[in-house]
Amino acid sequence: MKSNLIFFIGLFAALGISWAGIVLGSNAQLGSLAPFYDETDGATYPQWMSGSAAQGQLVYRDLGCYACHTQQVRRPGFGSDQQRGWGDRQSVARDYIYQPAPQLGWSRVGPDLANLADRKPSAPDSEDLLRMLYSGSAGMPPYRFLFVERRLGAGAQPSQAALKLTGSLEPKAGLEIVPTPRAEALVAYLLSLTTSYTYPEAVPFKPAKSEGAAAAPSSTAAPVRATPAPAAPAAAGTTPPAAPATGVSPAPASAKAAAAPTPSPTVTATPGSTGGAK
Amino acid sequence: MTTRGEYSPVDGASRWPLLLLLVKGIGWLVVAGILALVASIQLHTPGFMAGCPLLTYGRTVVLAETAFVYGWLGNAGLALALWALGRLAGEPLRAQNWAIGGAIFWNLAVFGALVGVALGDATGFELLGLPRYVQLMMFFSYSAVAVPGLLAWNGRLRRVSFASQWYAAAALFLFPWILSIAHVMLFAAPVHGVLQPIVAGWYAQSAWTLWLAPLALSVAYYVVPKVTGRVLPSYEFAALGFWCLIFIGGLTGGRHLLGGPVPAWIPSVAVVSCALLLFHTFIVILNLRGAFTGEGIAVKFIAFGLAAYAVGAVGDALTSLHGIATYTQFTHFDEAQRQLALYGAASTFLFGGIYYALPRITGKAWFSPGLVRAHLVLSICGILLLVGSLTVASVTQSQGILDSKVSFQEIAHNSRPWLMSATFAQTVLLLGNIALLANFYATACEILKISAPAAFNPPPAVETRAS
Repeated sequence: MKSNLIFFIGLFAALGISWAGIVLGSNAQLGSLAPFYDETDGATYPQWMSGSAAQGQLVYRDLGCYACHTQQVRRPGFGSDQQRGWGDRQSVARDYIYQPAPQLGWSRVGPDLANLADRKPSAPDSEDLLRMLYSGSAGMPPYRFLFVERRLGAGAQPSQAALKLTGSLEPKAGLEIVPTPRAEALVAYLLSLTTSYTYPEAVPFKPAKSEGAAAAPSSTAAPVRATPAPAAPAAAGTTPPAAPATGVSPAPASAKAAAAPTPSPTVTATPGSTGGAK
Repeated sequence: MTTRGEYSPVDGASRWPLLLLLVKGIGWLVVAGILALVASIQLHTPGFMAGCPLLTYGRTVVLAETAFVYGWLGNAGLALALWALGRLAGEPLRAQNWAIGGAIFWNLAVFGALVGVALGDATGFELLGLPRYVQLMMFFSYSAVAVPGLLAWNGRLRRVSFASQWYAAAALFLFPWILSIAHVMLFAAPVHGVLQPIVAGWYAQSAWTLWLAPLALSVAYYVVPKVTGRVLPSYEFAALGFWCLIFIGGLTGGRHLLGGPVPAWIPSVAVVSCALLLFHTFIVILNLRGAFTGEGIAVKFIAFGLAAYAVGAVGDALTSLHGIATYTQFTHFDEAQRQLALYGAASTFLFGGIYYALPRITGKAWFSPGLVRAHLVLSICGILLLVGSLTVASVTQSQGILDSKVSFQEIAHNSRPWLMSATFAQTVLLLGNIALLANFYATACEILKISAPAAFNPPPAVETRAS
């Protein structure tokens, strides 16, 4: 190699190609991805995170939760993501468009959290999550510094926010453990994580062969959301009739969503409404 | 081991910036080793240091990675790249003040990054945990350090250049560029949604293939022919290998996004690119195969690094395939691969380079040959044990995750023994690196003509030999 000019043009071109290909290419494809307007609901999805959930996302990032938890349910054929109840469908790019700092993660020392608030068979509520953060588990450290220990005045009632702990963790008489605002924001964020709304592109393509699998993406043009009862009839209209009988994984995600509408009333499936959870 | 370094006026004149970068690099290596040890304990005993908000597992991991990549690999890689460029240019480095000033600010930035991450300002991106406020400082300080290198490249006496120079010049030139792109697209004017992980993945793979790997390869391409005393075999293919890495490296960016919420073509391009990179690896092995039979500590390190580089490249190509990624994705195997690349390959190349270069830069032989051998043995054993334990742990983990009935508590319990063995490996590596630091310090003190402080008591055997 004798010419400096050719050498540097080569370097320039090499980096330019990978940058234009990977970064600009994906930007051109996804950069203008818009939320999905659902005519049945009269709402667009995904919904904006509540303020406390957006703050919680920063707490999640700042503590480094991404080092052990992913937030992406992979496509069918990749591991046991859907069998574990992490989500009825794969995560798609549209799920993340309103997230200021998407936390896809790269390691699964702990479970995936993409759909934590709507996990089957039972989703945790804020009390479960706070207790989990306080006590830790065999695989997860306790995050005691997200809580404060307060002294109760004589005859005072414990705060409503105080953790209900039992066994060895129970605070001594006259003391109570309450979450700090950071812990509450983190929990609000975790409870805002849901992928229960099924976008058209999230339905895996299945070649039409049997009647149960006939739901090609085009036929479910109006996607379905796992809502409590009121919206379900409207949803059922677009669902293939044979589908509800098969509640298990190979059925299209939309059918599953409609088949199991209300197992856990503690957490509603609407992303915007969970911000107030303590 | 070298008894007396061949001292050349070129080396002596460019001594100070190189020593400054090297001493900082080795210092960060020990810091990174301590942090990695803490992180590794936290992985099997989550309660360890859990009460300390500065050192949650998520933060320690990023701290260790930042100190290792930007502190150790960055400093030592820059030093050796400048050294190789200066030697091949045949004249002392020019603009050394730029390198010294840049080195000071680069290390301030690394320190600032560690403090920032400990306080919770990590960005959450792989290999780019650097808080955004130090990134510009890193950009400018790196560019300043690169100035003497690029001047040496440009002012070389012979018009023909060598493989070592290509790799070094490419690394000096490309890193500021990829860092600035990542900074603009992730922080200054951030893209939305999953585009962030895509840009971050592109950055992480480019940082490895266009920055760290070229830095390390430039050292290997310099030292191996020097030590073996022969023209590199099949050298006419070296340019092909170089351009193969540079053109294809950045396209492997989607390797970790397989099955994720990104367009499927991104991981598909990465699969093809990882396979094509095997061609580059093959040429590197072909060129440097003399290392496997060469004599001397430096070449032994490089030979081990070459083996790790080859195994790592095959591993990358295989685990980017859907069928295999189903088992390995998101497990400890990713970490094993990262350690194999960053520690097994890049770091051992640099170790080899340091053992070859320091006697020539300082004009003094290594203070203690025993410590040199200890470092070699501890490094090789440590890396093999670390990668091996993490791989076995990942097999256990992967079996557990794939079976939807196994809880994560059980998985943690089953992989615990292997993670403890990884902790032991980290301890071994840390001991080896402390040996390197002590030896480096003692050798550098000889040239500084200052006596080592009384607190530093070398072992008696070494003392008698040195007197």
